[in-house]
Amino acid sequence: MSDNNKAQEDVRKKGGEPMEKSDIFVCGFVYAVCVFFLVMALRLDEGARIYPICLIAVLAALTSLQTFNMFRAAKKSGVVSGMEGFKSFLPKQFFVILTMIIIYLIVMYVAGFYIATLLFMVSALLFLRVSKVQLVIATGVVIAIAYFAFTLFLGVRLPTGILFS
Amino acid sequence: MFETLSLMGGGFLNAVMPINIFAMVVGVTIGIVIGCLPGLSAAMGVALLLPMTFSMEASTGMIMLGAIYCGAIFGGSISAILIHTPGTPASAATAIEGYQMTLQGKAGKALGTACIASFFGGLLSCISLYFFAPLLAQLAMKFGSPEYFWLSIFGLTIIAGVSSKSMVKGLMSGAFGLLLSTIGMDPIMGVKRFMFGQSSLYEGINVTCALIGLFSMSQALVLAEAKIKERARAQKFSDRMLLSREEMKEITPTIFRSWIIGNTVGILPGAGASIACFMGYNTAHQFSKHPERFGKGSIEGVAGSEAANNAVTGGSLIPMLTLGIPGESVTAVLMGGLIIQGLTPGPDLFVGETAKMTYTFFAGFALIQFFMLGIGLLGCRGFAQIARLSDAILIPGVTVLCIVGSFAIRQNFVDVVIMMIFGIMGWLVRKFGLNNAAIVLALILGPIGEKGLRRSLALSGGNPAILFSTPVCWVLIAFCVFGIVSPFLMDRMNKKADEEVGELIDEEPAEFSD
Repeated sequence: MSDNNKAQEDVRKKGGEPMEKSDIFVCGFVYAVCVFFLVMALRLDEGARIYPICLIAVLAALTSLQTFNMFRAAKKSGVVSGMEGFKSFLPKQFFVILTMIIIYLIVMYVAGFYIATLLFMVSALLFLRVSKVQLVIATGVVIAIAYFAFTLFLGVRLPTGILFS
Repeated sequence: MFETLSLMGGGFLNAVMPINIFAMVVGVTIGIVIGCLPGLSAAMGVALLLPMTFSMEASTGMIMLGAIYCGAIFGGSISAILIHTPGTPASAATAIEGYQMTLQGKAGKALGTACIASFFGGLLSCISLYFFAPLLAQLAMKFGSPEYFWLSIFGLTIIAGVSSKSMVKGLMSGAFGLLLSTIGMDPIMGVKRFMFGQSSLYEGINVTCALIGLFSMSQALVLAEAKIKERARAQKFSDRMLLSREEMKEITPTIFRSWIIGNTVGILPGAGASIACFMGYNTAHQFSKHPERFGKGSIEGVAGSEAANNAVTGGSLIPMLTLGIPGESVTAVLMGGLIIQGLTPGPDLFVGETAKMTYTFFAGFALIQFFMLGIGLLGCRGFAQIARLSDAILIPGVTVLCIVGSFAIRQNFVDVVIMMIFGIMGWLVRKFGLNNAAIVLALILGPIGEKGLRRSLALSGGNPAILFSTPVCWVLIAFCVFGIVSPFLMDRMNKKADEEVGELIDEEPAEFSD
C-alpha cells in the first residue's frame, strides 16, 4: 500500500468515508433532472401533476441529504477524487467504440441491419486488433445468430434501411 | 389440495413436451457459456436473451430464461476452477478451493463436485418453490389497492438492500427510476406525461429495453473502456469428474446445509447468490471434519459454495412470482420476461389458466437442474475453452445482440435509441456509484405503487387513513421496516463470512468480475 493510500486509510479509520469529488457531479446532475421534470410537470393538469411533483420532491430531498453527507464527510475525513472507477479508463478506445456504435445505428437506419452489422463488426474487430481468422468467424457467427434467431425463428423484420425500403 | 396436485402433475406433463426440453437444453447451454465468460453476468445474459422469448409460449419462454439463469450461476464455477477467475460473482468463493484443486491436478474432481453440488442445490430449492409459493400467493390474493401500495413500497425498500455501499445513493437511484416510471400516460386521468412527442412512449418506457440497456449494453461499454486482456489458458485436466461414494458421503451434509442457507438468502430481499456462496463456503468450513483441508483444495468448500449459490435460484423466484416483488437484479429481469408475455407477476399467476403456465415453469425449473448436471459434466472441457474468448470479440458481439434484441420487441427503432440511452446511463450509473438494479426495480414497481396509491385515495375520497386500514397493511409496513433494516444485517453477516474466509485465502486473490 502506498503512503498516500495509507494516509487515506488512516483518515477513514478516524472519521469514516471521505467525500468523493465525483459526487458533486452526481448531485448536480440529479438536481438538473429534478428541475427539468419539474418544469414539465408544472405544465400538466392539476390532478396529473401531484404524483410526479411528489416524486421530484423526494428525489430532491434525497439529493440534498447526499449533498449534506458529502460536505460532512469532507469536513470530517477530507476529500478524494472518487474517480477510482476510471482508473483503467482508455478514453481513445472507449470513445472510438462509442462513436462506431452511433455510426452503426445511423448506417442501419440508412442501409439496413445486415450491411450495417457487417461494417460495424469488421471495423470494431479491426480496431480492437482481432486476428483475421477470428474476425471472419466472429462476424459470421453474429450475423448467423441474428438471421437464424431473429429473422427465421422469431420472424422479426430487421431494418432494411431507407435506401432499400 | 387435489387441485394443486393436478396442477403439479399437469405441469410436469407440459414441461416434458419437446419444445420445452429444447428450451431447457438451449437455455442451460447459453447460460453456462455466459456464466463462464468473466465479464458477463447472469442478469446481463438473461436480459440479452429476453427478446428471444417474446414469441414463445409463456411457459416455454420462462423455462428458457430460468435455464439461462441456472446455467449462468453454475457456469461461473468453470472459469473460477480452471483459470482462477469467477465467471460471475456468485462463484467467487468457489475459486478459492476450486483453483487449489486444479493446481493439484484435480480439476476434473473440482468441476464434478461443482456440477453435483449445483444440481442438488438447484433441485432442492424447487421444494420451497413448490410449497411456499402457492401459500404466499393465497395470502396475496386478499390484497386490495392499499396493500398493493405497501407491497410496492416494500419492494422499493429492497433498493436499500441492493445498494449496500451507499444507501442514500441507492435510494436516489430508486427515486430516479420512479420518476422515469411516470413517463407515459397517466393511469387514472389519461393525460400524457413527459412523452417528448413520442407516441411509442404512450405505455411508458419499455422495461425490456431498459433492462437490456442497463444490464447488457452498459456491460459492453464497461468492457470497451478497459485494456483488452489476454485471459489465462484453461488448465487441461484428465482426472475423473465423477465422485466416489466416500466423497459423495463427505459432501452430502454440506449440500443440505448450503441448500437451507442459499434458499433463505434467495427468499430474503436484497441478498443474492454472491452472498450465499460465501455463507455456504464458510458454513462448510465450520462444520467440516477436515477443516485443515480448507484453503488447500477441499471438495467440501467447492460443494458448500456451489450448492448455496444454486439454491438461491429457486428461493429468489418466490417473492417475484407470488408478490411481484423482485429481490435482486436477475429476478427483476425474469419479471421483465413475464411482463413481455403480458402476464402480471403476483397472485394472479396462481389462478385459472395462468396457474398451468406457472406449474409448467416450476416443473421445468426442476428438470433444468438435470440438464444442467448432464450438460455441465459432458461439456466442461468445451466450456473451459469458451472462457478464454477475448473481450475484443465480446464488445461488438454483445452490442449487436443488444441492438437487434431491443429492436425485435416491437420492431421499432425508437426502442433501440431508448436501449442505447439506458446503456450509456447504466455505464455512468456504475461509474458514479449509483445502482442499476435500483433503477430497474423502481421502473417495474413504480406503476404498481402509483395505481395502488391513487386508487386507494380515490376510494377514500382523499383520506390517507385507508392506507392503514387493514391488518395486512400493518404487516406490510412491518416488512418495509424489515426491508430497510435487512441490508445492515446482511452486511454484517457478509462481513463476518468475508473475515472468516479471508483467513483461508492465499496472498494472491482471485480476479473478480462484476
